[in-house]
Amino acid sequence: MKFYCALWLAKILGVAINLVSRDRGTNLPGEKALAIDPSFVKNFKNIDYSKVIFITGTNGKSSTTNLVDHILKENGKKIISNIEGANLLSGIATILAKESTLTGKLKADYFVFETDERYLPLVYAQLPAENMLITNLQKDQVQRNGDPDFIYRKLKEVINPKMTLILNNEEPRSRSFEESSYRSVYYGVERHDESFNKGTDYPTQACLKCHHDMVFDYYNVDSIGAFHCDFCGYASEKTPEYQVNDINFKEKTFKLKGVDYNMPYDLPFMFYNYAGALAICQEICDISPQKAAKAFNNFKNIGGRFEVLKYKDKTIKYMRIKQENPDTLQSALNIMAFDKEEKMVALGLYTLVDFIPHYANTFYAFDCDFKPLIDSKVERYLCFSEHVSYDTANRLIYEGVDKEDITIMDSDNIKEIFAEIDKAETNNIYLITWISTFEKMKKFIEGGHN
Amino acid sequence: MDMTLKIGWLFPNTFNLHGDRGNILAIKAEGLRRGYNVEVFQINLETKDFDPMDYDFLFCPPGEIVHFKPVIEFLKPFNEALMTFIENRPMLVTGTSIGIFGEEIHRDDNSSIKGLGIVNLEVYESHVVYGDDLYYHCQYNGNKMEIIGNQIQMMHVEIQEESPFGRLVYGYGNTGNTKFEGARSGKGIFTNTLGPLLVCNPWLTEEIVNLIEVNKGLPVWEEKRDNSLELNSLKTKVALIEKKESKLIKISER
Repeated sequence: MKFYCALWLAKILGVAINLVSRDRGTNLPGEKALAIDPSFVKNFKNIDYSKVIFITGTNGKSSTTNLVDHILKENGKKIISNIEGANLLSGIATILAKESTLTGKLKADYFVFETDERYLPLVYAQLPAENMLITNLQKDQVQRNGDPDFIYRKLKEVINPKMTLILNNEEPRSRSFEESSYRSVYYGVERHDESFNKGTDYPTQACLKCHHDMVFDYYNVDSIGAFHCDFCGYASEKTPEYQVNDINFKEKTFKLKGVDYNMPYDLPFMFYNYAGALAICQEICDISPQKAAKAFNNFKNIGGRFEVLKYKDKTIKYMRIKQENPDTLQSALNIMAFDKEEKMVALGLYTLVDFIPHYANTFYAFDCDFKPLIDSKVERYLCFSEHVSYDTANRLIYEGVDKEDITIMDSDNIKEIFAEIDKAETNNIYLITWISTFEKMKKFIEGGHN
Repeated sequence: MDMTLKIGWLFPNTFNLHGDRGNILAIKAEGLRRGYNVEVFQINLETKDFDPMDYDFLFCPPGEIVHFKPVIEFLKPFNEALMTFIENRPMLVTGTSIGIFGEEIHRDDNSSIKGLGIVNLEVYESHVVYGDDLYYHCQYNGNKMEIIGNQIQMMHVEIQEESPFGRLVYGYGNTGNTKFEGARSGKGIFTNTLGPLLVCNPWLTEEIVNLIEVNKGLPVWEEKRDNSLELNSLKTKVALIEKKESKLIKISER
């Protein structure tokens, strides 16, 4: 009876929230239901766990989930998925309540859930998925995650010999879970025109198996690329089963298993999402690469990290990075560096305000290689954002930028940011800041300041 | 006169969590500013003929505890040499790696790892992570200074009879219950302050290089660095600390 009360309350709340705003409250119905019935998710009926797929990891889980959902739906499958991004137990509870009958019965070909890596054991305890894709495990949100090993141990709690794992071939931590699964399938990306190396004073990481130094032959994305350990031989495979190859940035195409694909986003971190999604579709859902290919023609990623604004005669290219995450910052730096045109770089790293205490952390910037950006014709730098702008500027100075070429603004004042952008001779403006400042800037432009 | 500063960077690939290479950049930049050659040597598990006394400064960044055992095994034969080293020469150990140099590391799963025992402290791995700003006063090489930074606390540090490195103005420090931050033994600094500590606090970097100069019999560089940018950074971060909400026990109540 507890389950039914929880379910009906979640359904009513879901409808009510939907009436107020379609964008809000994706966790609330599930939260309330779990408060009434702590085993709420466990009590749904008709879930075949061999059809449940978790997509977890540090970066790329939302995009991969969106793409898997899109490919499967385009191929006529009934999918239950949390593509709106509520990836905790309460988010999954919300979506299951929404999709179920009044008696808690579910009907779907597949259940595809993005799951927060930190809370995976809690989700798994109620929904023991037999399939899981791990995108990568990297330094991220250190205020709550500490170090990657902290998350690695969380995943270890869950992975068992019943599971099929879809693993990133070129990310050492993810790949190493192969030891604990029933079956492992690997996906990866061939070296491409935007693959890169970092100087020898940029640390790599320790081998998961023997603790000695790992060597990366190159990176396709920061911390991800062909790797090997000279000491114990642990290494990525040269050609994993699902490998994105023949990447053509000009034509926006790639190949996988000999099939041609249109590339909806030509950003290097997306290539891994393409490969992982195609591996899931074939290995778990029996949708071949040929059948999946057509879905790439009309794929739109929800909540992407790249947006373009028109401001007066200038083009502002906004790149959203994840806080405390050097890998997404490095990807953004690489994108700017590959643009050989004159540019202004507005860098608004920011104080972390996820939860109390807020704190001023920009130390992850020292893991990133700014040199290629600095060598790529930058007219001027603007370092803004309250409490951290001096540290951001200092990171640039340590990379060789002259102090005189940097404007430091210890504030997030939108008018002042635009005043600096106005001063630039170039029309090519790159912007990195948090979503809240970006939204204010967008509104400023839409409000007639164009 | 030996005009080369030799920096030993301990296990940079094994221990690499929070932009710690910034500390190497800072010490190198300060050495170069004073007209020295600066050589940075990366020491890893494959390094042959490691001798701490070959270096003027040693830096050990924070790392994942899962890699501690092989590192401790590697360093064990140099225990005495490391003790001698910190009597006069500067060494900086940050974050979790403090445990390596202490007596014992107590893990969350109730297992434990014997440390090198160079400093009389024990560490206890926490079940939860705590991240925050860190602000304290300390004294190094005879000079008082303020230090600002961040802390991602994954363990408690019980410093027993050792002297603390700093006295907290704000932050978690060693346990969240005392006014102490880190430990100091001889010229060795063992601190919870993570990331580019020596970038954000160039006054500490200057003192470390001053000490190196004394140790090498070089004249101490008189021309002060322009630290205005870092002082502005300190000021704005202290302003954040003063206005922010915190669940920590107030320093005055510890």
